[in-house]
Amino acid sequence: MNANKTGSRWQGLHLEPLWWGLFSAGGVCFAVFIPAVVLIFGIMAPLGIIDISYQQVRGYYASIWGLMFTGAVICLPAFHAAHRIRHGLHDVKLGGGLVSIIICYGLAATLSATTLAAWYLLR
Amino acid sequence: MAANKGMQQALVRVKRYLPEEQQKTQSEPFWQEFTVPFDESTSVLDALNFIKEELDPSLSFRWSCRMAICGSCGFMLNGIPKLGCKEFLRNYSVRTSPAQKNTATNTSITASLTVEPLAHFTVERDLIVNMDEFLIHLEAVKPYLIAETSTQKQLQPSLQTPAQLAKYKQFANCINCGLCYSACPQFCLNPEFLGPAAIALAQRYNLDSRDTGKAVRMPMLNSHNGVWSCTFVGFCSDVCPKQVDPAAAVNQGKVESAKSMLIQMFKGSTAHEL
Amino acid sequence: MSYKPTLTRTWWLKHRFFMLYMLREGTVLPLVFLLCSLSAGAFALQSVEQFASWQRFMANPWVVAIHTVALIAALYHAFTFFKLFPRVMPIRVGTKLVPPAIMVVGQWLAVVAVITVFLWLFVFSGAAHGIVAGPGGGV
Ligand code: SF4
Ligand code: FES
Repeated sequence: MNANKTGSRWQGLHLEPLWWGLFSAGGVCFAVFIPAVVLIFGIMAPLGIIDISYQQVRGYYASIWGLMFTGAVICLPAFHAAHRIRHGLHDVKLGGGLVSIIICYGLAATLSATTLAAWYLLR
Repeated sequence: MAANKGMQQALVRVKRYLPEEQQKTQSEPFWQEFTVPFDESTSVLDALNFIKEELDPSLSFRWSCRMAICGSCGFMLNGIPKLGCKEFLRNYSVRTSPAQKNTATNTSITASLTVEPLAHFTVERDLIVNMDEFLIHLEAVKPYLIAETSTQKQLQPSLQTPAQLAKYKQFANCINCGLCYSACPQFCLNPEFLGPAAIALAQRYNLDSRDTGKAVRMPMLNSHNGVWSCTFVGFCSDVCPKQVDPAAAVNQGKVESAKSMLIQMFKGSTAHEL
Repeated sequence: MSYKPTLTRTWWLKHRFFMLYMLREGTVLPLVFLLCSLSAGAFALQSVEQFASWQRFMANPWVVAIHTVALIAALYHAFTFFKLFPRVMPIRVGTKLVPPAIMVVGQWLAVVAVITVFLWLFVFSGAAHGIVAGPGGGV
């Protein structure tokens, strides 16, 4: 019951809270934003139910809203997916440890970075 | 228990394990079938006691209170962790087919279930598992009030408002039955994982306004084998006989752990009052 | 002497609850596909031609099928996620918990609101085709 066995600043710290934070935020975005996005761009527009024009989409996306869109609809859900895939691999006794971490979050980071670059190129 | 007239028959398949048995066939786990009379009020524990008293005295299992409070009669019933004394044979009824007719007594089987030792634990004998595998984790989180030790403080009454009580009350209902461990695949995949009940109890004391032990418990919860091994499967909360909702406790623990690690990073040491 | 059964790779196929758990975890697979096609769309905005070919890709029946699965997956994910939220972050007023049902309904209202906003942007403002600036921000 002695709390005075003090450790240093970094003792026992790891990145799980960060991954979990991204996972949770991404989970909210997946639930709240993705249904609308996939409905518009993945289903209604391709089926011709609604009409989206290049000018209109580019206009929206090149604004600051496009940056927010990228964060909420691409980056955070990507880290959400990475987290679930990493743990899912552990559940079926595949991969594990640092390898899973690097591959899963690495791919999420890559997808995020490239999409942010796409947004930046429109500016 | 005499087989009264009004009684129905249940087929109870029990997973046996008698390691000291010399015959090769029995030193491995095996299934044994029993026909047990039951009525509306026969619990699974009653059925096991009937088997032990009337059919096969070599059957081993734990029990004590018969009223879902001691937490010692956990079994896998049809593959799901349950308390034997809280489950009734009437809930395991099957439609009778001619094949299931018990020719000896000429009565038909109207209920059937399988009884196995709690999953994810080491089985010592029959339905007896090594509960230490859960209890060492429980002990590790110091599931008791850690409070001011000065005599001055001890002589004071510990006051607590209803609002302070409400914060942890649900998590205090745990009876240490271990059903949640048998429901948790993460505990089986990684037996070092503290597991649902231990973390729920840690939260219970961390949330108690009279407790000052949070700083001692957090390093354990913060570790990879603490809250972070959980993927919120949630089955633990489903099987808990006391509605403790250990899954909620573990995931509230993740929020607490994240906070505690951030504070440690900024404060520069692990010794801090949270 | 003692024995200890271990989990096989397919443990989650053995019980309905675990199958639903894996289904929940699996919702991210069509999501990953969607994220990749959206990211491609962001790059396609470089030119009208690229955008047209991206639209052709999106209209491929297989792609539409996968995105339909992604929509169902997102809704299933939302269904599970919204129920978990009040358990992870219970809101207490005094000794009383805010009823989880209210928090669940609130989250579904957010989904409906977002769908409405998107529909409004792309359907009801359809007359504004050709605009250069989005709402609240210029290029
Ligand atoms: S949390 Fe529930 S299931 Fe787990 S040991 Fe306590 S009472 Fe049993
Ligand atoms: S015998 Fe005590 S809980 Fe079942």
